[in-house]
Amino acid sequence: MKNTKMTLSARTMNLDFVRKVEKLSGTSVRRCFQCGKCSAGCPMRSFMEHPPNRVVRLLQLGQYERVLAGRSIWYCASCETCSTRCPNKVDLAAIMDALRKCSWDARGPSKESFVQLANRIFIENVRTYGRQYEMRLAAVFNVKSGQFLKDIMLGPSLLAKGKLKMFHQKNRNIHEIEKIFSRIEELRRKGGAL
Amino acid sequence: MTAQKHVLDYSYYPGCSLHASAKEYDESTQGLFKALHIGLTEVPDWLCCGATPAHNVDELLSLSLCAKNLELAKGVEGDLAVACAACFSRLKTTQHKLEIDPEKRRQVEFAIDAPFADGKKVKHLLEILARDFGLERLAEAVKKPLSDLKVACYYGCLLTRPPEVPELDCIEAPTIMEKVIEAAGAQTVSWSHRLECCGANFTLSRPGVVLKLSADILASARDAGADCIMVACPLCHGNLDIRQQEIEEATGEHFGLPVFYMTQLLALAVGVRESKLGLDSMIVNPLPLLKKKGLV
Repeated sequence: MKNTKMTLSARTMNLDFVRKVEKLSGTSVRRCFQCGKCSAGCPMRSFMEHPPNRVVRLLQLGQYERVLAGRSIWYCASCETCSTRCPNKVDLAAIMDALRKCSWDARGPSKESFVQLANRIFIENVRTYGRQYEMRLAAVFNVKSGQFLKDIMLGPSLLAKGKLKMFHQKNRNIHEIEKIFSRIEELRRKGGAL
Repeated sequence: MTAQKHVLDYSYYPGCSLHASAKEYDESTQGLFKALHIGLTEVPDWLCCGATPAHNVDELLSLSLCAKNLELAKGVEGDLAVACAACFSRLKTTQHKLEIDPEKRRQVEFAIDAPFADGKKVKHLLEILARDFGLERLAEAVKKPLSDLKVACYYGCLLTRPPEVPELDCIEAPTIMEKVIEAAGAQTVSWSHRLECCGANFTLSRPGVVLKLSADILASARDAGADCIMVACPLCHGNLDIRQQEIEEATGEHFGLPVFYMTQLLALAVGVRESKLGLDSMIVNPLPLLKKKGLV
């Protein structure tokens, strides 16, 4: 960590945020006793500035802004190895989901934009088509991330193998799918959903 | 084929990839199940389960999409057969979470405007083959044993997780894939990276992650003496097969490991015609290996 100096007080503990994460994730942040088993098994730890156990420690110490501003939460692959191996039954994968939601909703200052962009296009595709449209997912990602030539060499062989469908049929029940999205938005506007 | 002839019948949720980048998984599943006289009826108008991107940022959306699929599946008889490991994990997780959390269930029921359709058993294809159909019956159906083929069974992350819904097999040391393919006469290798992550959907956003993680998996399988890798997840397949050449270029190592869906190998063993296995869709050409072993 670049800045290791921190001052702790009841005011800096940000217990409200911890409670919010616990409510969203349905698991306890405070129960973690820092054995580090999650980080030992995490396949993504070498890509993270804060390994998983430190993410939890920072939350416990009220330093959530440092977590939300960093890349670690977006470099979690949701493989759930951490939750599987935690000896104290902390569902760290669910905590990561909750943290990403907090950052996402706040359109937060995270350094990691590509993963968020990929998620956004993926979800947009579900809303528009009902099923994933892989060709569009890759094409829109390349355009919006400014990497026009990314994976361009894979294109011809995937097309030749029939693995890229150029055209994609929308689901017949696409109106019902749109309703799911709009009802969730309605529920959130009314404050009835997290 | 009439329904009476089927020994088992299932409703079927293929998932998005099986209609595009993983069409050989769908093709070989249909071929295998037909040969074993197991009925599969696709759920009409099924939608995307939301996969990792949905639950990553919006749990309510993820649960609602899966709940809608379970509601659609209610109209088709039989337990729900799922091919993709990620869809399987999401659907099972949804059932579990809505069972234990009445508040989430209330929100999801509002979102899908229907009561949550619980009670449908969600089963991965592996479970159906190993348990419902049974390993002995599977072994009896084998016409062309895969003897001499050394297979590295790759589980990836989501077949056995999350830990609260561990119905497929042991979370940390599963053996169901090995048992299934050994029933078809193949040999399996013991290797270290059976359950390590392949980099999953970072293949779109941060392919560098996939190059590193999948390189370790390929090296581990090769060093264990495997002829090929067997998977049961379209994303694992994409990372290990489609990106294999790129990984070889990046690492300077040679792997040359064909990556099969488990249904392709099993269908081959029970005598499904070669043209129905989707072998020509694989990026790493499996034919030299299969010819060498006398399987095609």
